[in-house]
Amino acid sequence: MIERLVEGNTGWVRVAGLTKHYGAFAALQDVSFTVRRGEILGLIGPNGAGKTTLFECMAGVLPPTAGSIRVDGRILSAAERRNLLFYMPDAVAPWPSQSVGWVLDFAIGFFGGRAEQLDPIVDALALHALLREPVATLSKGQRKRVMLAFGLLMSQPLLLADEPFEGLDLRQSRDVASTLRQHASDGRTLFLSIHQISDAARICDRFVLLSDGRTCGEGTLDDLVALAQHRSASIAGRNLEEVFLALT
Amino acid sequence: MRSRKSAWVWLLRKEWRELLAARAWWVMVAVMGPLVGFAFVSAVRTYAEASGLNGTAMGVGEAFSPLVGIWGPTFSACELAAAFLLPFVAIRVVAGDRQSGALKLELQQAMPAMGRVGAKALVLVGGWMIALAAPAIAVVLWRWYGGSVDAPELASVVAGHVLNAALTIALAAAAASLTDHPSTAAIVTLTATVGAWVLNFIAAVHGGVWERLARYTPTAMVAEFQHGLIRLEVVLAAIALMIAGLAIAAVWIRLGVAVKRRALESAGVVAAGAIAVAACMLVTTSWDVSEARGNSFSRSDEAALAKIPGTLTIEVHLAPEDPRRIDLDHRALSKLRRVRPDVDIRYISATSIGLFEQTNEGYGEIKYALGARTVVSRSTTAEAVLEAIYEVAGVAPPGDDESVFRGHPLVARPAWAGPIFYVIWPLMVIAVAVKVKGQR
Repeated sequence: MIERLVEGNTGWVRVAGLTKHYGAFAALQDVSFTVRRGEILGLIGPNGAGKTTLFECMAGVLPPTAGSIRVDGRILSAAERRNLLFYMPDAVAPWPSQSVGWVLDFAIGFFGGRAEQLDPIVDALALHALLREPVATLSKGQRKRVMLAFGLLMSQPLLLADEPFEGLDLRQSRDVASTLRQHASDGRTLFLSIHQISDAARICDRFVLLSDGRTCGEGTLDDLVALAQHRSASIAGRNLEEVFLALT
Repeated sequence: MRSRKSAWVWLLRKEWRELLAARAWWVMVAVMGPLVGFAFVSAVRTYAEASGLNGTAMGVGEAFSPLVGIWGPTFSACELAAAFLLPFVAIRVVAGDRQSGALKLELQQAMPAMGRVGAKALVLVGGWMIALAAPAIAVVLWRWYGGSVDAPELASVVAGHVLNAALTIALAAAAASLTDHPSTAAIVTLTATVGAWVLNFIAAVHGGVWERLARYTPTAMVAEFQHGLIRLEVVLAAIALMIAGLAIAAVWIRLGVAVKRRALESAGVVAAGAIAVAACMLVTTSWDVSEARGNSFSRSDEAALAKIPGTLTIEVHLAPEDPRRIDLDHRALSKLRRVRPDVDIRYISATSIGLFEQTNEGYGEIKYALGARTVVSRSTTAEAVLEAIYEVAGVAPPGDDESVFRGHPLVARPAWAGPIFYVIWPLMVIAVAVKVKGQR
């Protein structure tokens, strides 16, 4: 059903007016943007910008104060949203006593993950040596790769990953970026929250800039450069870091 | 997408593996051995002493009922474990997912929240049943000593402790879902346990509606089962409370639902639970499965009482804490209520202890009224109560039609119980835990 929704709408998923208040504090304020099918969309913002809150509201694990997710102009129900996207949180160690192999089997059995993708993903993320290790004993980087594998096994067409490069060394970051690229080229849409702008610049097709819970810009690097210049900011070349600083 | 059934089976497997990974559960199982062992050894010794001293069970049959002498004390260790150990295991299983971040992932699978909580509860009850292997060993040992085992009354005791554990699990699950941290959940659960004890205390002091409510506390419920009395209203009320607890847990694990809506849903669950418990109070069916029929009058008396026409009114002028009133309730009125649920019993007293009412005229009197006839008595024994009822009803007491329960006296040493419960059981649990851990 979701395949039909996405195909029939040229890959547009519209997040509109997403707002989240914690009492008087507004973590998100009227956040709106679009996700295109098959792209890698980067969510960029400083600490406390509201990136994780945005993902959790989109995934339905945190109740938004207002806003909607639409496909074909139609607001998605909770069930449709569950079929559309899967969210991989950052800094979690789920089922810490279970082995990595069992956790990946659980992803397939419980979540309806793609069994045929298990071996390729384990190969791509170099997880063979970890399959018998309990999640609790993994390093931060190892755990991040396991969680990425978990997310990539899911069958939803849109994957939200919070800080997918956090804790990875340079080589691992490149390998993970390559794996994510491969999945995007296979038709998977990726929405990545990335703290390191250099990582985002390397992998993302488009960007959503978030600061103080508001969207400051959305588009390709060229779009954002133009936007920054339109706002009378002087930018030295096509540099995402400069654009980010100019717009946030 | 996998079918919901297969996803639920996966969830069940996951919960089982999580339980096996929980040190809290292994500690509880290991501790059950010494707890049960101490209670069993003490009970067997006391039972043997009483049996040896009396020599014969003539007239003191109830004293030699294994239900009261052995199973009550032995299984009381389970009550202790259910109050102080099981909540931590349940909280570990329920709150663990939130602590580790697993809940954020699991909530993205389209499964009803009650299904998720149900899987946890089912696994926890299974874990509790395994822990009950310790008292099961006590049963085997008792048989080996030559002791008598009456299956229905033993089943009643086990059922009471399983129901009590299920209630504890539901309470702990609700607390773990409602609170952000396991330690807070533990405090909430223990507060509820202590609260139930306070309710029992208030009921003992003030009687009335408190007394009625106190019948549904886990302590009171287990006590009835331990005496072989199964009251349908208590079973149904316990099930209603259990479902309400699990439903509240299910409401609060849905992190994606606004807090206000969850609070409203919880209020709905509480209201529905209260209505269900109130409805349960209307049920009067009960079964006395004790071999000694300790919760019933003799069959001939029950038949005679059932035939008395009209509504019998009993006015008891005794304070709630007066030992005579407690005696009257336990020995006679509770039995009378079972055979005549329509009996109207009124307690009248000015104070809770009755100490300063002793000189009042009429204090201590028990007035029986049926139609225009009244009988006044001061005796609180079952025989005297029956005699007064027959007198006020104007019917002749039935003759004795059944033999007196003479009990099963047994002079036996608790052989092998010490080594089994204090050494072998804990070591075996540790060995199995290590083996299970190694296999994962």
